[in-house]
Order: sequence, then structure tokens, then C-alpha cells
Amino acid sequence: MSTVSGKEAVSTEKATRAVPDHDPARGRDQAMTAGQAAGGRPIPPPRAVSAPRAWLRLLGSEVGLTFRRPRNLAMLGVLTVIPVLIGIALRMFAGTGGDGTGAPMIFERITGNGLFLTFAALSLLVQLMLPVCVAVVAGDSIAGEAGIGTLRYLLAAPAGRTRLLAVKYACVVVFCLAAVTAVALSALLVGLLLFPAGPITLLSGGTIPFLDGVLRIGVVVLYVTAGMAALGAVALALSTLTEVSVGAIASTVVIVIAAQVLRAVPQLSVLQPYLLTEWWSGFDGVLRDPVAIGDMGQGLLVFAAYAAVFCSIAWARFTGKDITA
Amino acid sequence: MSIRARRGRTVRWAVPAAAIAVIAGAIGAGPVIAAVQGDPALPERTAEQLLASAAQAGRAGLKPMSGTVMQTASLGLPGLPEVPGMGGSSPVALLSGSHELKVWYGGADKVRFALPGRMSETDLITNGDQVWLWQSDENRATRVKAGSGERGEEAARAHEALPTATTPQQLAQQLLRRVGADTVVSVSNTEKVADRAAYQLAFAPKDPSSLVKEVKLALDGETLVPLRVQVYARSAAEPAFEVGFTSVTFSPPAAENFTFTPPTGAKVEETSLAELLKERRPERGEGFEDAEKLKSEVGTVGEGWTTVAVIPVSEQELTGQGQGEGSSGAGIGAIGDALLKSAKPISGTWGSGKVIQTKLVSALLTDDGRLLVGAVTPEKLSEAAGRK
Amino acid sequence: MSRTPTDAGLAADVPGSRVGGPGGGSRREVPGAELSIVTSGLTKRFGSGQVAVDALDLAVPSGSVFGFLGPNGSGKTTTIRMLLGLVAPTAGEWRLLGTPMPGGVGGVLSRVGALVEGPAFYPYLSGEANLRRYDAADPSADPRTVSTRIGLALERVGLAAAAGKRYRAYSLGMRQRLAIAATLLGPRELLILDEPTNGLDPQGTREVRGLVKEIAAEGTTVFVSSHLLAEVEQMCSHVAVMRTGRLVAQGPIADLRASETVRIRVETPDVEEAAAVLAGLGLPEIRLGDGDVSAALGAGLPERVCAALVTGGVAVRGLAVQRPTLEDVFVGLTGEGFDVDG
Ligand SMILES: Nc1ncnc2c1ncn2[C@@H]1O[C@H](COP(=O)(O)OP(=O)(O)O)[C@@H](O)[C@H]1O
Ligand SMILES: [Mg+2]
Repeated sequence: MSTVSGKEAVSTEKATRAVPDHDPARGRDQAMTAGQAAGGRPIPPPRAVSAPRAWLRLLGSEVGLTFRRPRNLAMLGVLTVIPVLIGIALRMFAGTGGDGTGAPMIFERITGNGLFLTFAALSLLVQLMLPVCVAVVAGDSIAGEAGIGTLRYLLAAPAGRTRLLAVKYACVVVFCLAAVTAVALSALLVGLLLFPAGPITLLSGGTIPFLDGVLRIGVVVLYVTAGMAALGAVALALSTLTEVSVGAIASTVVIVIAAQVLRAVPQLSVLQPYLLTEWWSGFDGVLRDPVAIGDMGQGLLVFAAYAAVFCSIAWARFTGKDITA
Repeated sequence: MSIRARRGRTVRWAVPAAAIAVIAGAIGAGPVIAAVQGDPALPERTAEQLLASAAQAGRAGLKPMSGTVMQTASLGLPGLPEVPGMGGSSPVALLSGSHELKVWYGGADKVRFALPGRMSETDLITNGDQVWLWQSDENRATRVKAGSGERGEEAARAHEALPTATTPQQLAQQLLRRVGADTVVSVSNTEKVADRAAYQLAFAPKDPSSLVKEVKLALDGETLVPLRVQVYARSAAEPAFEVGFTSVTFSPPAAENFTFTPPTGAKVEETSLAELLKERRPERGEGFEDAEKLKSEVGTVGEGWTTVAVIPVSEQELTGQGQGEGSSGAGIGAIGDALLKSAKPISGTWGSGKVIQTKLVSALLTDDGRLLVGAVTPEKLSEAAGRK
Repeated sequence: MSRTPTDAGLAADVPGSRVGGPGGGSRREVPGAELSIVTSGLTKRFGSGQVAVDALDLAVPSGSVFGFLGPNGSGKTTTIRMLLGLVAPTAGEWRLLGTPMPGGVGGVLSRVGALVEGPAFYPYLSGEANLRRYDAADPSADPRTVSTRIGLALERVGLAAAAGKRYRAYSLGMRQRLAIAATLLGPRELLILDEPTNGLDPQGTREVRGLVKEIAAEGTTVFVSSHLLAEVEQMCSHVAVMRTGRLVAQGPIADLRASETVRIRVETPDVEEAAAVLAGLGLPEIRLGDGDVSAALGAGLPERVCAALVTGGVAVRGLAVQRPTLEDVFVGLTGEGFDVDG
């Protein structure tokens, strides 16, 4: 063992960049124990890991965790099934409910063109289902880790508070995109399977080719994702305020419902442009001719404003918080 | 807490505070910046000059333009019920909240109004001799046949089928017709509407019994096109009613905006303008701008700002018990019900009745079957009721 | 409370070096000035107004196994949370591995393995996946070697066989081991272990003790908190004692022990006479008991005392040299017994 030189010792697990002094005796000891414990498996010399790569690795870990979690998978499953149910229901009862009351026209259009199932499903789910799923994931993101105590180990790793928060929010955005895409894809498939496809009649009465319609669905998916990501920022901020994730989730859902109620009260119409919920279904702009870029742009600005304010609140709170759980 | 930690916390929370400040600033920036930069970009003009030039510009015809009109009402009405079957194009929708109207104007015979609703849209498209009304929520395209009248006039009247398609221009015309000696007119040249420098005329009624404090009319500094009309009530600092452009471009809109072919699968109907107006008739007579029409149909007391309309009517008729036909009729009834519930009893030398007051309009329903309506105080209504 | 071993036993048990001393074998020499952890005036007052840690001045020499002893609620965990930057101190400063904190948290903590207030993992992930997760959080960990490093860490704590099992299915002891494995994921210069033997059976406790010694033997400084005097005495070269947030003693265990004198105790019916003989020998701190007399022995030799007693005609029924246990030291330091259960 004493023949192991200090140089070779560098190639073992224990002697790394982290060792400040180059005491050969120390290197020898480490070589010994590492070699014994590893049963002869060599560890290549550690490379310096660049910050963006390390960030991506943590994001990968976060996303992997989110999408491996049975609860989150169940939510995505439910989101995927709902368009199927709507499609089957419309297929079975098509034409029978033609009394013209209640049901919005958009649902009647589906029977004429399957693509409308995507718009209908999104405009239905964006009211509560999608927000609840996003609230669960985002509200759980910090509070859930605090609740089971893993937050202290992540921070001691050291994940870095700002870095961890940024990764958490990025993961929430990824989940939003996945959830909205799940709804859109499922609705698109079911729509095409159960109903005729073809050129789409816009709300303004004009007609665009089928592929154009699919492209516009892509735009809608991104728009709704942005809206959900803004809600995710709200839930994230609430998540930094508590160690009980149910609290953060429930308060986010309550906020959503309260905003929906406020939206329904005509006397409070002055408030409406400032409500997040008011803009979620604003993607109908893609179905107008010309495309209502201005309105959707305004929606995106509102989303960005919410995201900026609540992410910065989350940051201010999280970076100064005592982790006592 | 150490000084270092306290300072750290202050610095951290300064970030969200700054974010909120920036956003609040951006929301409020429009008027603020306008006020700050408010050195008169426009040449001084007197109210008389402006009114004359505006009238002249109006006669010369509107230049091609397009834009978005926002209409906001906070009339202080008691809670209105949600009326099924009444989308964004219903006049009931006018009475509260904000409504958007998109306008494309390519000339007297090339006009398109679009009323975007939630996942729906109502379009009124005039292109040459063709007038189409498209209602996406009913999947119905209605072609308006040319009637006996002149074509241009026909097109101009077509928008009456769409009561919420109110532009500042239409309101400005009515306003200017009303202005009389009982009005104080003032002018400013530092307004900014839809990012354009504008003149603003303020019309204030002299009579203190008017509920209207003043009406402001903003005219585009360059074209003198009316850009905004605001009605201020005496009781509130914010306008009770406002119609104005939020964005406007004075360039000819693309021709595609005026072409309309009924999409396949849509119900296509044909009707004359008179019929169309009649069909939508039960909904008329409720909007603010329709006061003019009511005047011609019913008796009036007083004149100018404090005109009171007297309409023979019964409570049954108002609450919809008398009119069973059509969902819209029932809707009006429901609103009548809601309004009557909040009415206060009143009595005078003329008898007794119920009075409702909103920010801008008071209404008195007498027990002997008269409805008095006006932009005046209830006392003035009571006085008018006594005059018979 | 368990009995403490003899001084000789402890010395043989501690392979770690002592500050400035010759060290326990062929280990590297630690310069006296090098401190892995140093705090000055570290104080934490929680929002409730409770002072959990009060003006703590710790100095943990590099290469030592440092026992952080105190009853439950004395502020050990709070101190460790402050050291790791999890809780912001109300006042005071501290350095880890020579770097001023909390500014250096990002760079330093990669070289520090920590177990804080028991294990915490994701119940629906396997042990291995859990370690992978924590490794991903460390920005300086090399992703290429992660599998090897995790394998090594799991082997060291004897969990290699259960690596693929969900954490949910782990026993309390396995969970504690996994938490220790998490501290060994990378090359560490300092391990901070908060009550690492909590919840372990005697066998597990022994294993952890062995592991700590092994790690210390590699030159890693180990800072281990405990409420068990015996445990600290068996593992540590240095000790600091906390009581309700205050530090009551700190230093090399041998020094602390030396601060309490060796006493000689004579069992005799002739209490007065024995006391006179002891006083005649110049022994201080003579205490008279019921059928026994004791005095500080100091540098005096027991055989001389024995001879003097016999010569003095004292009926000696028993004679014992009492070497101080750490418990005695603490009683001396704090003036009261050490209450294990807080
Ligand atoms: N988050 C907290 N809020 C208020 N008091 C706390 C908090 N955490 C710990 N304490 C108090 O601080 C004291 C020290 O606790 P702790 O550091 O956990 O002790 P130990 O780890 O030595 O058992 C205890 O009295 C405890 O009640
Ligand atoms: Mg503790």
C-alpha cells in the first residue's frame, strides 16, 4: 500500500479537488479505504462540473421525481381521460340535446369537426381541473419537501436556495406543459377518431385548412401553459410560506375559485382585467380572423406579471427562511 | 436580529416590492405619462372652433381606420341576474362590465364590427351591397337584404341590430346634438387616447338636479375623429360610462376583413333590415343611447340634460309576466324583477310609487301606471310626475 | 446512565488525533491552529422569543472526533442547522473549513457531509434513487461517478443489499444508515452527524461507532452530537457540553478529565483518625462520610497513603483510587447531574 503514490491517490474517490492540502500520507489512507470498500472498482477522477450542467442535472432529478410520483401520474391520467369521456358522450348523445340551451356552441361544433374537441376540452379544463393539478404540484414543491424533511438535506447538499427554487419553478412549468399537452393530444386523437376532420370554421365565420388548425392548437397549448405557469408561481410562493403542502395547495385552489367567483360578479368588473382566471380562456383569440394577437398578448403580459411578482415573493421568502423542519 | 440579517431581509423583500411597483407603474403609466409629458402637443383651439371642425370632419366622412373600442359601464345598478341565452351581443350586457368591440372601417360601404364573446363572436359585415350578420354561438349567418331605403343609409342603420356595437363616433353625434345653452363647455389639448394626442371637450350641465356631472369627448388631434366619450356622474370620480378606443390605426384595413362567405354547415337566413330590427326589438329601449328614441315615442317633461321621459307602463309588463314570448323577453323581465326589488317607495302630491336610483339614471314607477326615467335626481322625477 | 470506561480504555479506543498531541498512531499531524468549525457568539432566538443557542463559541480542531454533548432541547440541532446555513443566527459568526459563512455555503457544503435531526428521504423512491437525488443537488458532484460513489456509500453502511428497496419499506435502523450513507456520497473533509445512533439497536450503535472511527481514521473531521455521555466518551477525542443553549465546557476529553482530580477513598470505622492521617499527608479536599473518608490524591501515591494509614493505626476495610469519569467531570462543571432524558 505504501507504494501508492500521491499522484495515483488523486484518482481515487477520497482525494479530490476538495482536499486542500496535498499530504501524501493522507492520500494513502484514502486510497486504502476507498479501494477496500469499493472492492477494487476505480472511480475516474472527478471533473469540474459546469454550473449549467449541474443545474440541468438537478432539473432532471426534479422532473424525474415529479413524473415518477404516483399521485402526479394519476392526475395526468385523469386529465387525459376527460377529453375521451367528453368525446364519447358527444358521440353517443350527438343531436339529442339540440334544444339550444346551456351548452355552449363550441360543444356542438365538435360533432362537425373533431379538432374542436381540443379547444372545447381545454376551455373546459382550464377553468378548474388544470389549475387544481398545477396547484397540487406547485403547492407541494417546497412545502412538501419541508414536510418530509428532505428540504434540509437538499440545502445541505448544497442545492443553493435560489438554484433550488429556480429548478422547482422550471419543473412546475414543465409539468404545466405536460398537463396541457396531455389534454390537447388526447382530445386531438379522440376528436379525430370519433368525428370528421377537415377545414375549421373560425369564430369569425372564416375557414382555415386543417393543418393550420393543428398549428393553432399548438399556440393554444403554449398560451394555456403560460397561464398555468403563472398560477404555478402563485402556488410556489404559497408553498414557501408553510411546511404543510396541503395548506399551500388548498389556498391556491381557494384563490382560483375566489377569482372565478369575482369574475362572475358584474359589479366587480373593474377587477376583472387583473384576475389571472379572466385570461386563462383568452386563447379563443386564435379562432378569430384576424388572430386576436393583441388580446392574447395582453393575456401573456398578465401571466408574466403574475409570474414575476409571485416568483420574486417566493424567492424573498425562501432565501430568508429558517429551515426548521 | 442582527443588523446584517435585517438589512439582508430588507434587500430581499425589495425585489418583489420593486416588481409590484414596476407592474403597478405599467398599469397606471398610460395616464401618468400622458400627464407628465402633458405639454400641449396640439395647437390651442377654442371649443367653438373644435366643434365646428369636428362637425365639418364628420360631414366630410370618416377616413379608413380600424381599432378596438372598449365600453365600460359602472352605473351602480343593483345586482343583475345572469340571463341565459344572452351573450356578449345582448344589450343587457351593456349595463355593466367591460365590453370590447372591434371596428374595421374601409369606407361607408365597407364596415365590419366584431363583438368577441367567450368562445364566440358576433360580426356585422357590410361590404358593398351585402350586409351579413354572423353569430358564431348560433352558427347562423343572416344576410340583410337591401330594403327600399338608400344603400348607404341602410348600411349605417344596420348596426342598430347590434346594440352593443357602439362607437365613440355614434355617441358623439348624439351628444353634439344635445348640447345647448344649459351646458358649460370647456376644452383641453393634453389628452391621450389610444396612444394618440387628443383634444378633450367637457360638457357640464348647469342644472344641479342633473345626475350627470359632465360628459367628456376626446377628439383625435389630427383627424378630429371622436376617440372617446366619458360620462361622469356627480356621485363618483370614475366615469360611470365610457366608450373609447383602446387602440386605433388610421390606415385602410385589409380587404379580407370585409369578405364574408357563410361557412359550410352554418344556418343561412335572409331577412330585411326592418325585420332584423324587429326581431331584436324586445331588447331595444334599454340602452343609454336609446333614450333619444324613447323620447320620440313617449311624452317628455323638461328639456336638455334634465329631460324626463314618461312612459305608460305597468309593473306586470316590466317584470315580464305580460310577455311570455322569446327568451330575451323573459330576460328583460328578470331584470325588471331584480330592479323592482331594490326600489324604494315614494309618494307625492301625484300619488305614490317606487323609485330606483343609479349613478346616472333614476326611474320612478308610479302606481297609476307611468314610468318616469331621466338622468336626474328622484326629487326632480317626483316633481315631473306631479306635472302630469 | 451507563458506566463509563476507564481512561486507559478510552485512549485505546480513540484512533483520532488530538490537537497538538502525537496522535493515535500513524495519522497525519494536525496543526494546532487548523479548525474545521469555529463559531463566535453564535446565538439563535426563535420567533417565540426562546433562546435556543446562546453566544456559542465552538472550536472544532481538524482531524478530531468532536462530541457535541447535551440533553434533549439543549440546542444541539439548532447549532448544527446554523452551521449548515439552514437557520440564520440571530447574532454571531462562524466559519466552516476556514471559510466565513453563510457567504461560503455554496462552496463549502460540498465538502461537508451532514445528518441533521434524523433521516429524511422520499418514501416512494428506492434507497439508491434517494441518494442519487441528493447527489444531483450537489453542484460539484460528478454525474459520471455517481453510481460508483453511491455503491460505495451503501456498502460502507451495509445497505448494498437493500439498495433497490423502497425507502418506505426500510426499518428505522436502515433509514438511519441510509442517512449516514448520504453523508458519504462524496469526499468529505467534515462530517456533521446529529445523533447518528438515534433509533439504532446496540448492534447498530456499535457499527456506527466503528464507522465513525473508520472515517476519522481517514482524516475526516467528525462533529457528532449526542445526548449520550457514554457514546461520546467511546467515540470522541474532543467534547463540548451544552446546557440550555449555553456551552459549559469544551476541549480534549483527556484535558477535561485531568481537570478533575483523582481521589482516594478509605473505608474505615475510624473516620476521624483516618482524616487526620490524610491531612497529615497534606492531601486536600478531605470529605468525611459515614464509614468512609476521601481526599484528593493529587500527585500522591496510593501506597504511601496506605502505609501511613496502617502506621497510624487506622482500621482500613477498603482502599480505592477513584479516577474521575466524565460524568464526574460534568457534575463538577455544572454542579448537577447530567440528565439524559432532558
Ligand atoms: N423552530 C423552532 N421554534 C421555536 N423553538 C424551537 C424551534 N426549534 C427548536 N426550538 C427550541 O430550541 C431548543 C433547542 O432545540 P434543539 O436544538 O432541537 O435541541 P437538541 O437538538 O439539543 O435536542 C428547544 O428548547 C426547542 O424547543
Ligand atoms: Mg436534536
